[in-house]
Amino acid sequence: MKKNGIFAIALAGAMLLPTAAMLSGCSGGDVVTLRVYNWEEYIDEGGKGTFIYDELHELDDDGDPVLDANGKHIHIESDIVDDDYKTWYEETTGHALSEEGPRVLDDFCEWYERTHHQKIRVEYSTFGTNEDMYNEIVLGNEYDLLCPSDYMIMKLAAEGRLERYDESFFNPSIPENYYVRNVSPYIAEKFETNAGLEVRKDPDGEEIYWKDFAAGYMWGTTGFVYNPAALEAAGISEEDLETLGWDVFTDKRFKSKITAKDNVRDTYFAALGVAFQDELLNLDRTAEDYIPKLTAIFNATDDATIDIVEPTLMDIKSNIYSFETDTGKSDMVQGKIWLNYAWSGDAVYALDLAESGKSEDGEDEATAYLNYFVPEAGSNLFFDGWVMPKGANKEAAQAFVNFMSMPQNAMRNSYYIGYTSVIAGEKIGDDDPAMLTYADYLYGEEDDGENFYDLSYFFGAEEGTYGICADEEQRTKRQLFAQFPTPEVIARSAVMDYYDEEASTRINELWSRVKAESLEPWTIAVIVVAVVGIIGAILLIKFGNKIDFFHSKPKKGYEKIKQENA
Amino acid sequence: MKAPRFTRKTLCIPYAVFLIFFVIIPMCVILFYAFTDKEMHFSFSNFLRFFSDPTKLSTIVYSIVISLITTVICLLIAYPVALILARSKLKKKFVILMLFVLPMWINFVLRINAIREFFNLLSQAEALSWLENANIFKTVVGMVYDFLPFMILPLYTTMLKIDDSLYEASADLGANAVTTFFRITLPLSVPGIMSGVTMVFLPSMTNYVVSDMLGNAKVTIIGKFIYEYFGSDWHMGSMVALVLLIIVFVSTILSGGFKSEENVRGTNL
Repeated sequence: MKKNGIFAIALAGAMLLPTAAMLSGCSGGDVVTLRVYNWEEYIDEGGKGTFIYDELHELDDDGDPVLDANGKHIHIESDIVDDDYKTWYEETTGHALSEEGPRVLDDFCEWYERTHHQKIRVEYSTFGTNEDMYNEIVLGNEYDLLCPSDYMIMKLAAEGRLERYDESFFNPSIPENYYVRNVSPYIAEKFETNAGLEVRKDPDGEEIYWKDFAAGYMWGTTGFVYNPAALEAAGISEEDLETLGWDVFTDKRFKSKITAKDNVRDTYFAALGVAFQDELLNLDRTAEDYIPKLTAIFNATDDATIDIVEPTLMDIKSNIYSFETDTGKSDMVQGKIWLNYAWSGDAVYALDLAESGKSEDGEDEATAYLNYFVPEAGSNLFFDGWVMPKGANKEAAQAFVNFMSMPQNAMRNSYYIGYTSVIAGEKIGDDDPAMLTYADYLYGEEDDGENFYDLSYFFGAEEGTYGICADEEQRTKRQLFAQFPTPEVIARSAVMDYYDEEASTRINELWSRVKAESLEPWTIAVIVVAVVGIIGAILLIKFGNKIDFFHSKPKKGYEKIKQENA
Repeated sequence: MKAPRFTRKTLCIPYAVFLIFFVIIPMCVILFYAFTDKEMHFSFSNFLRFFSDPTKLSTIVYSIVISLITTVICLLIAYPVALILARSKLKKKFVILMLFVLPMWINFVLRINAIREFFNLLSQAEALSWLENANIFKTVVGMVYDFLPFMILPLYTTMLKIDDSLYEASADLGANAVTTFFRITLPLSVPGIMSGVTMVFLPSMTNYVVSDMLGNAKVTIIGKFIYEYFGSDWHMGSMVALVLLIIVFVSTILSGGFKSEENVRGTNL
């Protein structure tokens, strides 16, 4: 008995050990622990499909490595993971670049140990929604670094749950401050001004600017991934899509061919777009107060707005194929739906996936190419940033942010997840900023004078300074357009503000009304009667032995036997 | 040295600990949250909000309807199967029974995913394209698939216990098959029916994974409701959970689930 018990404990321990090892990035003796809580699938996780692996192996159309005669992978010289990159990697981690695709978290541990002379272990865990993450924090789970979106950063800061970044973190003359040296001036400006949203105060009465509490990680827009071939077959041109804009959600031609997000923030935002599209289009875009007006429309939560949006949401619900959280990408690639409301990073991922699947069912062109568009009336601009909850290990957390902000690492993360890094890269000498080189490497082509795609705004330069040359498709509707939005798209995009308690209750009630099946009172009455009937029947069966169901006369002699037995 | 003695009391400790941490304390927490407001003050506001909101009431009614349909279909499928299995003289009954129980041993999310893909395949056929938007239908099929073993097992065990001599007596007394079924098989299998109904009806009211994955998240049952409220408003979420708990409690009493002598669930596993 006792032996068994010990054995069982040992067994349980043995089963738990590998789990613990899996969860941590690195291991060692006397170590600091950094607890990072990030979105699912939001960091380079090593192996196949990573920037380094894909650049150093010859790949077939499915993204699998090509084998030589001996069954070995064929290694290639890459233009972007070049000797400079390898040198950088060696200097950072202290060993040569492995072609098997190292994990960025492992590299961080090695870099930290070399530069800070202290071993570090990363406890990396993930969440699915901002609200889930918020609940975890409120429940008292402790982390050193979180990656919430814009409105959630504001909420956490306003509730006094966040640490401020150190002054020295923003000093560009310190070489280790990779974040401040490499971050895009455009993003930095947004973080300094809260992207134009109302400046709130924390519990100490101090004004909150994102910049003080957050360092950017990824950003993007929301829009629609669409299947041009399927739309063409249905007689809908791309111009029609542009004209429809947000109305694609309620247009009957897309019945059951479009999806919305299964969360209230994104779908409410989309419904506002549908309901107020005309108003949005009629705003004077040259006016000084265009962006505040746009932002106000997309963040309205008053009763009058809700009354207008509710029927729109009902229309959307009846028109869409599904409310989805992550099935949209595969439904899109399989050709089951034609339009998928998506974040730009997921859009890039879906576009890539569709193309890589092309060889698999090469005949089925309908699933081969997908495009992306952002409604003309305006859309959502989002930022996800690293924040440190109260009590975090600030030194290690800030080092982590700086490591992720090295352009070489920003490329790795961005490549793996499809989202756009906030990192632009420094301009050193005559070289282009690193992320421009990266964009050019992925999407660029020969200059023919007319195919210039201007990204100067992102690199904080005069119009026409920075940009890449790309074909028309990439410039208007494909990965380049999704990953690095044009200044025009940015100019008509609004950032989400956070809802206070009251607004949040109103919106959640609205959402539950939309999600629930609204039954007519008489239907409810009929069903209640039926249920009562069933309960009655159950009671009848239970006590039915007291009542003769079939009114059949007892067989002869039955009464007598019964009496005798009694 | 005294050898450690396992008295009844000490043997109860593990379960008592389990009971306190996983049953009593969570219940209290739900009660606490259900009757407090955001400032953690005692309040009936959630209660009043719940019962004055047609959305919540109709979601509950809607879930009950979905579960009822599921339960009835399960019963209609399971009853004959259980009867045939229990009454047949087959040597390898065990194998057939296993075939029904086996799916329970495979992860349920995996099975629901598989059924989702299966429906996807089917709906590609022209004649079956209506399947794509038959969200309620798909949800019910998923639920039935998921809960059928829970109906078969208690039915089978109860029927197995029916004494053969009763059937012989029935035949001796000149009853035909129909009368025998209504006078012997059906009344004596009622405990099994009750048990099976409870085990299908109650979980299918909350199994929102099925309604999300097969109903495209357009079918909202009460379990999903609770989940969504816990994303934003724990107090309302707790209130919905509490109401559900009361429904469960009432239906368990109705089905006689607390009477130990009739309790046959799980006796076979």
